Amino acid sequence: MTLPGRARAGRRELFANALTLLVLIAGTHAVAVGALDWNPSRWTAPWSGDVVLVAAGLVFLGLAFLVPLHAGMINLGIHAEFLAGYSVGALIVRGRVFGPAGEAGLGLVAGALAGALVGVVISVLRRKFAVHEILSGLLLGSVFVPIARAISVERVTPPALSIDLPALTQPLRWVPGVGLAPNVVLGWGILLLTFSLVAAVMFANFLRTSVSGFEVRATGSNPLAAGAVGTDVEGIHRSMMALGGAFAGLTGALQLWTSPAVALERWPFPLGFAGIAVAFLGLGSLRGAAIVAIILAAWLNTPYVGTVLANPSYGAAAAALLLLPALWVLPRTFPDFGAPRSIWRTRHRD
Amino acid sequence: MGGKEAMLAVRDLTVASDGKSGGNAAVRGLSFDVRPGEIHLVLGERATGKTRLLETIAGLRAPERGAVTVEGEGAGADRRGGGGEGGTPAKARRRRTAIIPRETPVRHLKVIERLLLHATPRAAKLGISWKRGREEAAALAARVGLESLLDVSCEALRPVERRLIEIAGSIRQKPAALLLDEPTSKLGPHEARHFLATLHSVARAEGIPVVIATTWPRDAYPEGSAVTILWRDAEPATVSTAECTEGALVERWTGGLDIQLIPSGPHVAGDPLVRAQGLILKGRGRETSLAGLDFEVGSGEVLAVVGAPADGLDLLHDVLIGNRRPDSGSILFLGKEIAHSPRRLRVESGMTFVNPPIARDQSVEGFTVEENMILGQTHAPPFARRGSLRPESIRGNCLRALQDFEITGATPRTLLRDLGLGQRQRVIVAREVIHNPRLLVVRSPGQGLSLEEQEYVRRTLILQCERGSGLLWLTEEPEEGMRVADRMAVLTAGRLVWIPVTETLTREGIIAEMSGAAA
Repeated sequence: MTLPGRARAGRRELFANALTLLVLIAGTHAVAVGALDWNPSRWTAPWSGDVVLVAAGLVFLGLAFLVPLHAGMINLGIHAEFLAGYSVGALIVRGRVFGPAGEAGLGLVAGALAGALVGVVISVLRRKFAVHEILSGLLLGSVFVPIARAISVERVTPPALSIDLPALTQPLRWVPGVGLAPNVVLGWGILLLTFSLVAAVMFANFLRTSVSGFEVRATGSNPLAAGAVGTDVEGIHRSMMALGGAFAGLTGALQLWTSPAVALERWPFPLGFAGIAVAFLGLGSLRGAAIVAIILAAWLNTPYVGTVLANPSYGAAAAALLLLPALWVLPRTFPDFGAPRSIWRTRHRD
Repeated sequence: MGGKEAMLAVRDLTVASDGKSGGNAAVRGLSFDVRPGEIHLVLGERATGKTRLLETIAGLRAPERGAVTVEGEGAGADRRGGGGEGGTPAKARRRRTAIIPRETPVRHLKVIERLLLHATPRAAKLGISWKRGREEAAALAARVGLESLLDVSCEALRPVERRLIEIAGSIRQKPAALLLDEPTSKLGPHEARHFLATLHSVARAEGIPVVIATTWPRDAYPEGSAVTILWRDAEPATVSTAECTEGALVERWTGGLDIQLIPSGPHVAGDPLVRAQGLILKGRGRETSLAGLDFEVGSGEVLAVVGAPADGLDLLHDVLIGNRRPDSGSILFLGKEIAHSPRRLRVESGMTFVNPPIARDQSVEGFTVEENMILGQTHAPPFARRGSLRPESIRGNCLRALQDFEITGATPRTLLRDLGLGQRQRVIVAREVIHNPRLLVVRSPGQGLSLEEQEYVRRTLILQCERGSGLLWLTEEPEEGMRVADRMAVLTAGRLVWIPVTETLTREGIIAEMSGAAA
């Protein structure tokens, strides 16, 4: 099955992205071994349940960027949506009305809705006031940073997920930093990763086989032509931003389940923007994003990565590498006609 | 071409193709001279490499072979050309030539700001001396007869005025050669004549050689001195306009193709399909407003409306396709008022649209041919059912259309952008006529295509008329109107002037009506 991708990338871009990932992984290892005196022999557990949970978050964030991208929207409000999801989820946890288990689930749903709302606000700002989604997204992100910080968060324990695997009943000695019970990490992680992958496949299928998906692709490729044949271009922008925002908000709320030591928070730049790196490293395709999310999750879970990324110089270098593919992938995601004009303008006019 | 030394000389110039299927062809072994004050035309359909040729002459693109000399300045081999001999270096050509692209680059400035853009008069080396600048700008604008428009925004100008202002702005740089890419593509024939006459007088006065890339043979007469014909991958040929009439030029351009010009009609109008009454719409900027149009189109007939885009043709098209609502008046389609209804409703009630091939709103280049064939037709069977696309119907429809409309070299999975412009337009026409629409609103469907493709598109649309559809054909080309019309109206000063379609009707007569000279 071919999963539709927004980027028209070829072998050269694929090779460049693979090389970037290789440099990132090998470079972190080399820094750890050389500069930080890391002893590789101490690395006994390359895989942990945390990888699954982190990969799920990265896939969701990748979707948060890719879904609007298919409709021709650059969702740089992804961090605002992520923080909105986190903040609203945290408020629900603070309310202490529903009990820990209920709060965990409700926090996720409320977080997703909050992210969707931010996505809708961004698209409405674009339609009503011609504020480009890049500008409004970044501004909203900066607004949500102090809000998220102001809400003191206590970790919430999701309901125990019963998985009939005896190994999971024992503590997993290689995930002490996460601070979660192993069945939570692995059980919920598997469930959420499965859900994220199913969501990706369903969205790909929606794009390929449904009338609405066809309209989304037409809107993303040429909004003028789509509008001319009667497609509700603004409606599509709004709904895709809402869906993307929901994925980002869900990931934000998911952070409530984990302690600050969780691997995803080792990310070297604002966490919400991880979706952009995943989308571009995955060459704009849903399949690519899923693969990259899993690779990056494994990389983040290597024991020395936290130490390397905590160093400002190495963290900045890693951030640059993660965003580097935007240079060659972003131009390939533009609509058909007059790319620089159409992507930067909010009102298409001949 | 004895006498004065050529100011612009092109020798054995070869410009490579862009390597894309459906992209620009190569230009090989081209040589011509242009003397001061002369206009040399490069005639070719779209994607024959005209723009690339102009860019190469201007030094913006390296030639594969050959040399370009500006103002008789041979300065050794063209370093960017890699093998050129005796030409002016690319860097010097970039400095000494002015190239005016097809799309006017500066639109948001006032005319005075545009004219002073490249050399603004300074006051004490810091500020702008507006007094001196206004004087200079007024003198420049007067060269093209537009001195009264200094404080008007470029965006508000009519296309012909915008073009003339670009000319005035360019001569301020005192270029050794002026290169224009399809400057008449958005002008009516009377506007094109005015533009070319003004350009010629400016070129003569300044002693500048001019090269114009165009798709219209008409542009060569009466101002052009010579025409270089580009024909796909064939060797270019240059002819002098003194030795070659316009008819002979067209014959030479399409030599050997034996294009059959099949006469249209006359058709007898059936039931009325669309009736417009008292259409009024204010124009944008200096565009002419619609001042109360009344017309009716019946089934099985072609009503041609001929006019310049800025004389109301663009506005009428916008109103018909639903981009703009009229300020007053009504459009009844099959008895229903549609003047304020969205385009989708119009399409669903049996109205379809074919726009010029370069229009950006009728196809998705990144989609495949079969996807483009269903654009806007997915809300009902046969291409969709219960919200899902039906791949078998879509594929079958596409295969049938590829065969019926002779779209060679394409498969359903071919990307539209990989097809030539003519083939793309066939895909659009196929999509619009295959379901027997009640009314086709057609706007210059062959613009920029080869004569062969133009004829195919016309024939296909006329055939649809013979199947009972009504055609409302909007065009800026008198010949096209004459070829297709059962009834004809000329749009002039925002009103329709009805012209009987008889054997004595001539292009000059229509142009006279368009320019208001007939009145």
